[in-house]
Amino acid sequence: MRSHEGTARRYAKALFELARDAGEPEAVGRELEQVAAVYAGDARTHEVLTRPWIKPEDRRAVAAAIAQKAGARKLVQDFLGLVADRGRADHLPEIIGAYRLLVDAELGRARAQVRTAVAFTDGEKQHLATRLERALGKRIILEEQVDATLLGGFIAQVGSLILDGSLDGQLARMRQRLARG
Amino acid sequence: MTRILAIAALLLGAVPSAALANEGGGGLISLDKSIVIQMINFGLLLFILIKLLYKPLLAKMEERTQAIRKSLEEAQAARAEAERERSEHAAKLQAAYAEAQAIRATALKEAGEEQRRLLEAARAEATRLVESARSELAQDVRRARQDLRQEVADLATTVAERLIRKSLRDEDHRRIIEDAIGRVDRVS
Repeated sequence: MRSHEGTARRYAKALFELARDAGEPEAVGRELEQVAAVYAGDARTHEVLTRPWIKPEDRRAVAAAIAQKAGARKLVQDFLGLVADRGRADHLPEIIGAYRLLVDAELGRARAQVRTAVAFTDGEKQHLATRLERALGKRIILEEQVDATLLGGFIAQVGSLILDGSLDGQLARMRQRLARG
Repeated sequence: MTRILAIAALLLGAVPSAALANEGGGGLISLDKSIVIQMINFGLLLFILIKLLYKPLLAKMEERTQAIRKSLEEAQAARAEAERERSEHAAKLQAAYAEAQAIRATALKEAGEEQRRLLEAARAEATRLVESARSELAQDVRRARQDLRQEVADLATTVAERLIRKSLRDEDHRRIIEDAIGRVDRVS
């Protein structure tokens, strides 16, 4: 997976530079995610794109055709065709992640993955995003995920920064204090 | 010895014959020609006695004296030898006794040192064992305390978690989230 990340970054950077030159990095990213979701949603398509014994040109043609059918622009079609041709279709999730980071960095924003025990209200989302933006000096995009295993509160991660506002974290800290005496 | 007995018998025979010869005279000693014979007889007797009895007797006595002296000297020599040997034995005995005393003293000294060394080693070993046991005991106590603390902590947090999960309502969740959001400022 780690080697995937290095390769994925290189592909993502190449696509990002072309998209930036075209002035549409966000739109390219959205289309990339949509087509990748189509690939992942169809097991047969995924199999065709990832099996090494299928000819590269066939993989390229299939990938580009699906992208075209999904309404992706030419740049995205060519990119996905290239990725399939090179046998890197299984790297797409990492490529998308790396692309997001590049776009976010370009636009001066960061993504906050938030695991929460109960779903946030819109007000809470706005409140948290504002607080994080004030604290980090970047625009924040919240990606919320409800995790029923959490007791209460939430855990937010922005890059390498982790904010633990959960009851689970408080209980864990209490357990450590008690264990230390 | 037989010769001496023969001379004595001759003398005994001559004396009565001289007495009988005198019986014919008037006194005990007749001053006549018999006196000459008696004197010759006496001289002859004296000569014979000297020759046959006295000299051998002297010689014999001298011989016996020499023998006695020799025996005495031998006895003295033997006594001296015995004395020397006794002294020698006494000296040897003394030396052996002294040597035995020295050996005993050395052995006692070595035994004392050995005993002291063994005692010190035993004390050191005992101290080490006590320290080791104390250290192990302290470690066990520490470990037991830590285990107990951990168990108490686990139990307390498990109980707290159950109670919280059971008692949490939606407004509690909202309040917890708001509190946590309020603490985000501290990150900066």
